Amino acid sequence: MSYFDLKTDLSAEDIALKDQVHKFARDVMRPVAKQFDGMKADEVVAPDSPLWPFLKKVYELGYHKALMPEYYGGLGLNPLQISLVFEELGWGSFGMSVGMTVLCFPFYCACLANQEHLIESYVKPFCECTDASIRGCWAITEPDHGSDYVATAEDYFRSPKMRGNTQIRLDGNEWVIDGQKSQWVSGGTIATHALLHAQIDPSLGFGGNGVFVIPLDSPGVTKGPALRKIGQRDLNQGEIFFDGVRVPKDSIIVEPDYYVPMMDIILAAANLCMANWAIGLARASFEEAFNYCKERVQGGRPLIEHHSIKQRLFTMFSRVETCRVVGRAAANLNFNISPPFVEYSLWAKTQNTQMAYENAHDAIQILGGYGLTEEYLTEKLFRDARATLIEDGNNEMLAAHGGHILAETYPRPPIDF
Amino acid sequence: MAIFKDVPMVKEIFGDLWGKMIKDTEFGPKIKEGNISVLFIINDPNIVMYVDANGPIFDAEAEAKTALVTLKMDGDTVHKFWLRKVNVPKALALRQIRAKGPVGTILQLLPLLKPGQEIYPEYCKKYNLPMDV
Ligand SMILES: Cc1cc2nc3c(=O)[nH]c(=O)nc-3n(C[C@H](O)[C@H](O)[C@H](O)COP(=O)(O)OP(=O)(O)OC[C@H]3O[C@@H](n4cnc5c(N)ncnc54)[C@H](O)[C@@H]3O)c2cc1C
Repeated sequence: MSYFDLKTDLSAEDIALKDQVHKFARDVMRPVAKQFDGMKADEVVAPDSPLWPFLKKVYELGYHKALMPEYYGGLGLNPLQISLVFEELGWGSFGMSVGMTVLCFPFYCACLANQEHLIESYVKPFCECTDASIRGCWAITEPDHGSDYVATAEDYFRSPKMRGNTQIRLDGNEWVIDGQKSQWVSGGTIATHALLHAQIDPSLGFGGNGVFVIPLDSPGVTKGPALRKIGQRDLNQGEIFFDGVRVPKDSIIVEPDYYVPMMDIILAAANLCMANWAIGLARASFEEAFNYCKERVQGGRPLIEHHSIKQRLFTMFSRVETCRVVGRAAANLNFNISPPFVEYSLWAKTQNTQMAYENAHDAIQILGGYGLTEEYLTEKLFRDARATLIEDGNNEMLAAHGGHILAETYPRPPIDF
Repeated sequence: MAIFKDVPMVKEIFGDLWGKMIKDTEFGPKIKEGNISVLFIINDPNIVMYVDANGPIFDAEAEAKTALVTLKMDGDTVHKFWLRKVNVPKALALRQIRAKGPVGTILQLLPLLKPGQEIYPEYCKKYNLPMDV
């Protein structure tokens, strides 16, 4: 279903882009997502899985490089276009949107690092790739450290007690990696490259961390099994283990002395993605409920003709519109300034995922018993939405982090340039 | 003490450097093709410069322009940048450089400036600017 856009001056290019991605979300993503949702996690990544033709299609259309600059062969979308595209992808499937976008994470951050060898050996080949053979992931959280990674402003962040599960040390011209990342790494079991956070100097706690772009075909890298979970089953996740893995010295893109502010920059970008996919998720739930209410008859007339149902649908509609305003505003700000005002990304992620979750919840309630069955999309949307409240940082921890930033910066002065 | 002695020195160096980059290197066609324009707001010494495919302009004329990307930093950071001695992500993270404009454009601007970084040492020699910063 299309929607009225409050932004009435979308360009012809914007509208064409939105329509093209919507078609892909409707005709390609949704059917495959439904299939994956019913499969075992290891079947989803098996050699004969529909995942591979799906990914190939993603690469052929260039959606894997939606965030990448045009100069390197990326789509070069502006902030509004990113929001338009991500809403449609989120509408198609939240989990698959994550899976499609995390593919670019190491390469996007390598652009930020602006080092020629990374551009040549990683960024350009990724942008040129059309067969889905180069796939990134964001390997940050660990079995013992989930929220700890986003708690950069907490007093314990720099405590030596914060010993990471992934240690890295310099040995001559190489870094040596030992340890593991959590089973939550999106795309973890199928990734060929990682944006890896690892601890260089444990005496500084997580303040001694660094960020690296590494290939995952090096000796000593192994993967855990694909993770089965309540929702976003169409998103592959799994552990990555490192046993004396050696990577070149120049694989580092963020050193400890600016790890903390850079962590915020990376988090701000990731949270913006979450916020904009959540618009699509909120809208998908609203549409399911709306369409059902036109067909389902109770009390001798369609549900939509009942006063209280109209009210409930309006509440759901309001959340969609609010999500869109929030997601676009935050993208417009933080994809347009460097460094970003992180609290606005946190705001957008926490609010939009909460509203998307409430819409998914309300959609089931409106469909009644049918809403709980696999006959309708609502139960999947609900399970997917539940995961978003934890994904990319528990919303409570993100809110606490936002509060820390406010304590330091509120009110921000106007941008004076 | 600031590396650039005064405003006229900055104007002379960067007026010439940008002019050369646009005229004589692959930067010229690329800035035109990408329709890129950059406003530099530099302090210490205080100067505003606008650059697009037509070359650099300064002061009030520059301030009147609307640029795709605005970069704000101090003069010493400018000098170090052209000497390739600034870790740009670090400088952004630590707010030594602040930028406004689509992040994607900023990311692609950095490699475009390489030809300028190659010829900048000549200016350092000519104007006796320190290179071991
Ligand atoms: C769908 C999905 C995709 C993901 N993708 C990735 C990925 O691509 N890469 C990756 O590395 N990770 C990924 N993650 C991991 C995700 O970032 C973590 O799950 C999240 O940060 C929370 O960490 P945790 O699960 O370890 O929970 P914990 O950190 O153990 O938190 C448990 C509870 O304790 C609370 N809590 C934690 N610390 C504090 C505190 N200091 N004070 C008060 N309360 C606290 C939390 O709010 C939460 O309620 C993903 C997760 C999901 C669900």
